[in-house]
Amino acid sequence: MDRSQLGFDQNFSGAADDFLSLLRRKGLLGPTVVSPILQKETQQQTWQPTDATTILAFKFSGGVLVAGDRRATAGNTVVYDRADKVLEIDRNSIMAIAGVPATAWEMARVLEHSLQYFRRTQLQEMSVDGKVRALSKLLRDNFGFVMQGVGIVVPIFATYDGNSKPGARLYFYDAMGAQFEAADYAATGSGSPAVRGILYYENTWGAKPLLKLSEQEAVSLALRALDTAAESDTATAGVDRSGKIYPVIKIVSREGITTLPESKIAAVFKEMVA
Amino acid sequence: MIEEPYRWVEAIANRREYIEGQLAPGSPIAALGYREGILFVTLGQTRQKLFEIYDRIAMGAIGHPGDIERLRMAAIEMASTEGFTRSAADVSLRRLVHYSLSPVLKSAFEQIYGAPYLARMLFAEVGARPEDDLFLRVEYDGEIASNGATYARARQDFAVLSGTRQSVELMEAFLKSEHKTDASFETAVNSALDAWSVGHMLLQASETKELPARDAIAQHRQEQLAIAAIEAAVLQRDSNRPIRYRSLADKELRSIVTQ
Repeated sequence: MDRSQLGFDQNFSGAADDFLSLLRRKGLLGPTVVSPILQKETQQQTWQPTDATTILAFKFSGGVLVAGDRRATAGNTVVYDRADKVLEIDRNSIMAIAGVPATAWEMARVLEHSLQYFRRTQLQEMSVDGKVRALSKLLRDNFGFVMQGVGIVVPIFATYDGNSKPGARLYFYDAMGAQFEAADYAATGSGSPAVRGILYYENTWGAKPLLKLSEQEAVSLALRALDTAAESDTATAGVDRSGKIYPVIKIVSREGITTLPESKIAAVFKEMVA
Repeated sequence: MIEEPYRWVEAIANRREYIEGQLAPGSPIAALGYREGILFVTLGQTRQKLFEIYDRIAMGAIGHPGDIERLRMAAIEMASTEGFTRSAADVSLRRLVHYSLSPVLKSAFEQIYGAPYLARMLFAEVGARPEDDLFLRVEYDGEIASNGATYARARQDFAVLSGTRQSVELMEAFLKSEHKTDASFETAVNSALDAWSVGHMLLQASETKELPARDAIAQHRQEQLAIAAIEAAVLQRDSNRPIRYRSLADKELRSIVTQ
């Protein structure tokens, strides 16, 4: 580390700087648009990059459940079957991603560091609205890449609000950064139409509304929904029965984030789904 | 003035005397390595003195709030950018202090036409095992004192910071005889409060060269606990979460403080 990195400037103001501007100041953040030449070439391409995955989240009696399949694809090719798309951002926030992995993981990393940097420098936790907005801003900054067809990300954000009105909160976004608060459930990715149908049906005409489900029931519903999505969507893995690869399921509650162990998911799967 | 070496030395000596005088009333801070992590303890009535720097690094400081703030912010910036561009495992307290903070403090201190940093800091980094814990005390002139073994003394599992040198020395002497690395959390809290009391008593009676009697320490501690709040933080050793820092509320500690 050379001395200049220290950034001891005379016009110091701790409150004015956020993590993104810190990265920019140090030249550690790439440009948000690709060069114009590349732009022309990509415009001629006819393929549409897809947000190929299935992510779902819904509120149940124990908080918010967030589940994602584990397949990563490039066009028709399955690249990786153990991808983790349900990412912990802080003690009680989860960002689940559909879209281009390189951009999405980087975005999650920036968001995670931004929230920590805020807490450490300002000596207080960022509000839920602030966190939701921070992600929205990252999506907005990324929109240049989306327009050029190289970096679409459509995330879901689940968190627990311990302050203003205690409760689990769930948000989904569009690729431009608009944020929507979901009352009961949200789904994103190529497999989401099927999942949305299931969750709507269950919530409206099921044995009980999603909010009343026990953890066991919630997990089994998530597994069934992902399996249904995988049935018609090639980009979604659902549950890999031969390879014993199960979706990632995390629960956000007042106590923080719980990652369900694979053995537990396997047990529910065996009993309720398979 | 700069052209004459004698004047420069004199200016530096004046500056040192001035800064020492400014730092002298600063409330002591004790940092103790114990079985489950590292505990920072101080007593105070006004400003926050303990801060989170990064996942495994914490800082305690006395001095001018403006200077502490700039140094704290610089340390967080460096740790955060390193942790972002490489990984959290690459953020090291040793590098942060030796390569970045210390040179800046030294040059600010010696450039006699500019303002020095009016701050004294105590950093700790929690390791996987108690032997890996690192404590560094950093002075306003960039001087670094570490808890590591040197030819002059053995490794220590604690570090302290205070307004005066005598206060620091006696706090260290106290902890050397009282503190054990495998202490429980409760024992560590009480040892830290006793060490703080020793340091605080010395600030008020600077002539003393010996450790105060045990019952005098206990009495002083009780008097101070009645009028000041306990400020404490821990760096947890074993945690499944990457962030090990946790600040402890006064309330949480009052129940385990022995009378």
